[in-house]
Amino acid sequence: MKILILFFLIFHIYHVNADEIYNLIKIPNLEIYKLKNDNNIRYLSAKGNFKIGVNKNITCEKVDLDNLNSKFSVIEKNINLYNSDFLNKIKLKYIVFCENLFISGINTGGIPDNKNRTLILDINFNKKYFERMIHHEVFHMIQNSHSNVFDENKFSSFNKSSFNYAKCSTCSDKLNLDLYENTNGFLTEYSKSIPSEDMAEIFSFLMTDKETIEDRISSDKILNNKVNFIKLNLAKIDKNIL
Amino acid sequence: MIKTIKASKSEKILFIFLICLSIFAFTSFFLLKNKCLFVEKNNLSKLKFNKPNNIAVMNVECGNVIIELYPDISPKAVERFKILIEQKMYDGSAFYKVSENTFVQAGDIEYGNINNLDYSKIGSGKSGLGLLKSELSNDFKFTEGSVGFARATEFDTEDSEFFITLKEIPIYQGEYTPIGKVVYGLDILTKIKTGNKAIYVLRPDYIKTFRMFNSN
Repeated sequence: MKILILFFLIFHIYHVNADEIYNLIKIPNLEIYKLKNDNNIRYLSAKGNFKIGVNKNITCEKVDLDNLNSKFSVIEKNINLYNSDFLNKIKLKYIVFCENLFISGINTGGIPDNKNRTLILDINFNKKYFERMIHHEVFHMIQNSHSNVFDENKFSSFNKSSFNYAKCSTCSDKLNLDLYENTNGFLTEYSKSIPSEDMAEIFSFLMTDKETIEDRISSDKILNNKVNFIKLNLAKIDKNIL
Repeated sequence: MIKTIKASKSEKILFIFLICLSIFAFTSFFLLKNKCLFVEKNNLSKLKFNKPNNIAVMNVECGNVIIELYPDISPKAVERFKILIEQKMYDGSAFYKVSENTFVQAGDIEYGNINNLDYSKIGSGKSGLGLLKSELSNDFKFTEGSVGFARATEFDTEDSEFFITLKEIPIYQGEYTPIGKVVYGLDILTKIKTGNKAIYVLRPDYIKTFRMFNSN
């Protein structure tokens, strides 16, 4: 049995791709895309497909550089809304670009990894929601690094008592990202999935379309409470982000 | 009566060719096997340094690697490094993590000694001296031959493991605590056994001795 374990270990060891970036953030097949930026963020791109995570359940494909070049200015414009001090506080240093990002077989726009200070972004994510998706994923990094500040029970208590979130973000079929005409406490269908997605949706709209949100909350008390909750708690981390 | 048969001209040529081939194969085998053959040795008695107190000599299979330590940049890390050297704790330490032409890493005191390699735990060993706070420098460039303290994913987890870069790695700037730079013998490090494309090396090369220059 011991020999079998040793054999498995050796086999496993021998199939880890070794390079200096892997050594740093534990994602193989990456190369530097842009290193020096005003807010000290570092952009990396996938030069080959990669599989990471538990049971290699996160997969992504290499980027087409022309594709990335055409989208980079939009990404950079949005990421530049965060200063280096704030990015330090939320443990975000590396943004990894790849195409067709999947987690456990489900297509996703981004995957935050606070432990490695990394946010993986799928540059092929739906154009319509692309900018909002960036901030949505950044919020997950904010919440992960300040879970005591963004208390999900307190946030959930703003909803009507009859409402219940799903058990996980992919447990429900509430995935639509379009803004509701009648918000009724929720900005999008996806907001109804779980509290953290609800918060992330609010934050993403605040970063990309603040005026619309200000307009909606004037006639939606639940949403107003939620927006204030996000604003108030964000101010505890950085007063100038919103 | 036995007749003596003279070898033909072509047979003689073939015989000479076979002898030459076997000599070539024999010498090639030994030349190729000796990876240190064309590596320049560093004779310590001929070397002089402005700050000999900050010079460390790492002896590996192919010779001496001379490292200048930078206490001005990272005083605590260099102090720890010197303690580990003076206590001979790096002797026998395996280069278990090597990326070809990129970096070599050694210094796991607990699980990475050549006499006591534990592949299931390697990289997680402790020196017993406690963890250090990261001493990061945004100005220090990890050019070829830079020596840095390795750490876990989190900062402030430096202990004893160190790496040496074999090429410039700009992404390491501000990420790792710099300890110093190789001043002689970088080519020796390029001969350290790699794990092919893998990050961990089986039957690795190791540090024979690691001493401060003054103690030699």
